[in-house]
Amino acid sequence: MPIQIAGPGGALEVQAALDEAVSQAMPEAEVEVTAAGPGHFELRVTSTAFAGKTRVRQQQLVYGAIAHLMSGPNAPVHAIDRLECIIPKSASKAESR
Amino acid sequence: MSLDDATRQKITDLIAENRVLLFMKGDRSAPQCGFSARVIEILEGYGAPYETLDVLSNPDVREGIKDYSSWPTIPQLYVGGEFIGGCDIITEMHGAGELFEPLGVEPPPAINPEIHLTTEAAEALGQAVAQSGGPDQHLHLSISQNFQSTLSMAPQSPMDVVVETSGVTLMVDRLSAARANGVTISLVETQDGRGFKVDNPNAPQVQTMSVQALKELIDSGGPFELLDVRTPEEYETARLEQAQLVDQRLFERLQTLPRDTRLVFICHHGPRGVQAGEQFLSMGFTDVHNVTGGLHAWSQEIDPSVPQY
Repeated sequence: MPIQIAGPGGALEVQAALDEAVSQAMPEAEVEVTAAGPGHFELRVTSTAFAGKTRVRQQQLVYGAIAHLMSGPNAPVHAIDRLECIIPKSASKAESR
Repeated sequence: MSLDDATRQKITDLIAENRVLLFMKGDRSAPQCGFSARVIEILEGYGAPYETLDVLSNPDVREGIKDYSSWPTIPQLYVGGEFIGGCDIITEMHGAGELFEPLGVEPPPAINPEIHLTTEAAEALGQAVAQSGGPDQHLHLSISQNFQSTLSMAPQSPMDVVVETSGVTLMVDRLSAARANGVTISLVETQDGRGFKVDNPNAPQVQTMSVQALKELIDSGGPFELLDVRTPEEYETARLEQAQLVDQRLFERLQTLPRDTRLVFICHHGPRGVQAGEQFLSMGFTDVHNVTGGLHAWSQEIDPSVPQY
């Protein structure tokens, strides 16, 4: 388990910022953020907005929402090691890759 | 944020002007990161023309493209103005046979190549599979556009051709299968210990072209590149008017040509042309010729007005 550091710039704070950024851009989404190492995080997002989209377009929705946390030389998020985009069962009839 | 109007316009223009464009670190001959290198390796396998843009020498694009595509990493592939994906997605699409269409390449038929293993190679491969194989790990043979062979363990892809040979199961992707017929895999001793050697009779050679055949080709006006690989001084002394001296700039242009472009090399007597031809074969070109006897033979047999030196 990576050590989680509380306080400004710590993993917990960045986790919360990621959660908030995705939730704001995709209000209906369910977001789970896990710290995976310094600056590295894993995201699991469940949303009906993914229905009918290819995997690239699904991930673009999430990456677009958190871009401000990943840009610039001192970005709090260095990399998303794993990004899972899940369509809730009720909406998963639509075609997706 | 980091995407100003000028950069946005620059990127829009770039992807409008280049049907297949890879934003990457470095260029195709010297990728500066493993992910970019992986995508180049895949793209080279298709032999379809593509352009690259080095984000390391274009810092504005390096930051801008991330916002432009809503994608946080490099490399990024665009086809027909549309974002296709990064390294993972391209690898996945390659495995699933989904890159043929965007790249405009006809999928080769799923031919079953004949592959021979020597007894020792079959034994060693069998052991390797017993050690690290599994329900989701199979032995793969891949042969790149420039006929470099790789053996690896990987999951099976839907487009793989399955070859049973000497008790060993080999998965070969379709592009490789089309290049694999008649291949022999043997076990050899090298400086680094035992290793597999893949002999491929399909690997193209530098073909010889007589000065007479070159004259016919020039007269016919057929599409080809006549490439002079001598020094600039020699080129000044004597040359064919149709021949282009291969300098850095021309070398870069040649790298972007479709790999089935006919290349004809000429030097003073022949050996340098063969060397240059081999280099271009290793870059994936398939229709590569060298003029036997070089400019000297041309002067003697075709056109005495070209000075001998």
